[in-house]
Amino acid sequence: MSNAHLIRPTRPTPTESGVLVGRGLSVQYGELKALDNIDINVAAGEVVALLGHSGSGKSTLMKSLTRMAPVEADVLRIGNTDVLGLRSQELRSLRAQVGNIFQSFNLVPNVSALTNVLTGGLFQAGALNRIGLFPARQRARALELLDWVGLQNKARQQTRTLSGGEQQRVAIARALMQEPSLILADEPVASLDPRLAGSVLELLQRVAVEHGTPVIVSLHVVALARRHSDRVIGLKSGRIVYEGPSSSLNNNVIRSIYGDEGEYGNDAD
Amino acid sequence: MTQIDDLGTSGNLADAKSPEARGLSQDDLNKLSRPLRAPGFSGVGVIGILGVAVIWSLIGADVSVDRFVTGIPRMGNFLSRLWPPNFDKIGLIIRLLVETLQMAIIGTLIGALLSLVLSFAAASNIAPRWLYSSSRLVLNALRSIPDLILALMFVSAVGLGPFAGIMALVFGSIGSIAKVYAEAMESVDAGPLRALESTGASRRQVITYGVLPQSAPLLTSYTLLLFEGNVRGATILGIVGAGGIGMELTTAMRLYDYGHLLAIIISIIVLVTVIDRLSALIRKRIQ
Repeated sequence: MSNAHLIRPTRPTPTESGVLVGRGLSVQYGELKALDNIDINVAAGEVVALLGHSGSGKSTLMKSLTRMAPVEADVLRIGNTDVLGLRSQELRSLRAQVGNIFQSFNLVPNVSALTNVLTGGLFQAGALNRIGLFPARQRARALELLDWVGLQNKARQQTRTLSGGEQQRVAIARALMQEPSLILADEPVASLDPRLAGSVLELLQRVAVEHGTPVIVSLHVVALARRHSDRVIGLKSGRIVYEGPSSSLNNNVIRSIYGDEGEYGNDAD
Repeated sequence: MTQIDDLGTSGNLADAKSPEARGLSQDDLNKLSRPLRAPGFSGVGVIGILGVAVIWSLIGADVSVDRFVTGIPRMGNFLSRLWPPNFDKIGLIIRLLVETLQMAIIGTLIGALLSLVLSFAAASNIAPRWLYSSSRLVLNALRSIPDLILALMFVSAVGLGPFAGIMALVFGSIGSIAKVYAEAMESVDAGPLRALESTGASRRQVITYGVLPQSAPLLTSYTLLLFEGNVRGATILGIVGAGGIGMELTTAMRLYDYGHLLAIIISIIVLVTVIDRLSALIRKRIQ
């Protein structure tokens, strides 16, 4: 693994300027090759959608980027950090730089929206947090972010009282609180109705454009990927079967990703 | 289509599918359709074991209907002598009840705090395996000692009086509640914990911001239940000299001071009922 890149000079090199640069990513679970020699390159301000069946490797790919999955790779870099060389404490610091958005929001239900957003900054909370407090600077930032996702008036409300769409917006604010260099959203709209799904994805697009933070988002609905991402990576059995601008997603491409059963909301628009 | 036709004519769901398509045999279907079924082999076994245990205990514990029946008039006699209650020493009763309540408050507070600390070690989603198993072992051992025995031990250690009672309540609380706290913490949703870990939060931060807030309603409820139990428990610790109203209760009984005895019992019932009602109200508001 360590010097494998030396014998592959002909591989098309992704632009090394990307926020995320990964080459030759593989993940093996026992007999199963969950991820098979994948190259990925994501630039600042970009929204990249991952498409593919359940089990195609979308989640594994996201987990592998912060080594939440046992990844082997030739190159894996986020910002200026070589992810492969990190030890546990450094890995924690890297994970603090990567925002995660989950399908089931994963907010603490019986504390306020504000506290949930504040927990995104725990890694930088400093000495004051030893006695359970957050510095005024962080509180101001969290309130600003709640305003940015349109929920400042619900800052005091327990998140269990918010709608699914609102909860996902709080989760996005929590991720932004980390001041992340990359955001990974694993099926962020799978439990939301289509209208809310659109608004949450629009928010993620604004994250990429206004904060410059690239977003990798896995989706089940092709129409949503076409509308809300710049680029699509299609995965099948742990391999990339398509990579290109979301505008060029056509029926042939969809069939190559999903096989003949490739409906997946393609005609939803 | 044919299935629907079949259903329409026979009205029997089981007929609607071919025999190969059914998950259960006709025999099983018949069995499951019967409203009452004979107990199976294990059912008969359980009933048999229960029966033997009951008969064995009745003989061993010298349970006698005769003695119960002949005892009824004597019980009536005892109750009639209790009446009327004598509230002459109400000042003393109130002072002792307050002491009892104070013992319960301090015992519960210290017991709950120590239990919380111990429960981190006894929760499988927080503690490492070795710590988890050893702390569960200690808690189970503590749980097996009755409060009165603990009170006896502390009376001989720190002398007569409410302090021994408080110590007994503290250790009794740990035995009864630390494991329950741990289980409340184990039952929290793991999703938010995963999210916190993914932000780079430390173990302590995951517990503070993920585990504790999620389990707080349950922890508070259990603590109030513990307090109710400790108020009841504190009333009898005095029997072995560990403070509270129990000592006065046994003394009144020994001196055949029945009016005073009834006054004490009524006062205890009032205190315990008021505490239980208050605690139930708070618990209802939490949930």
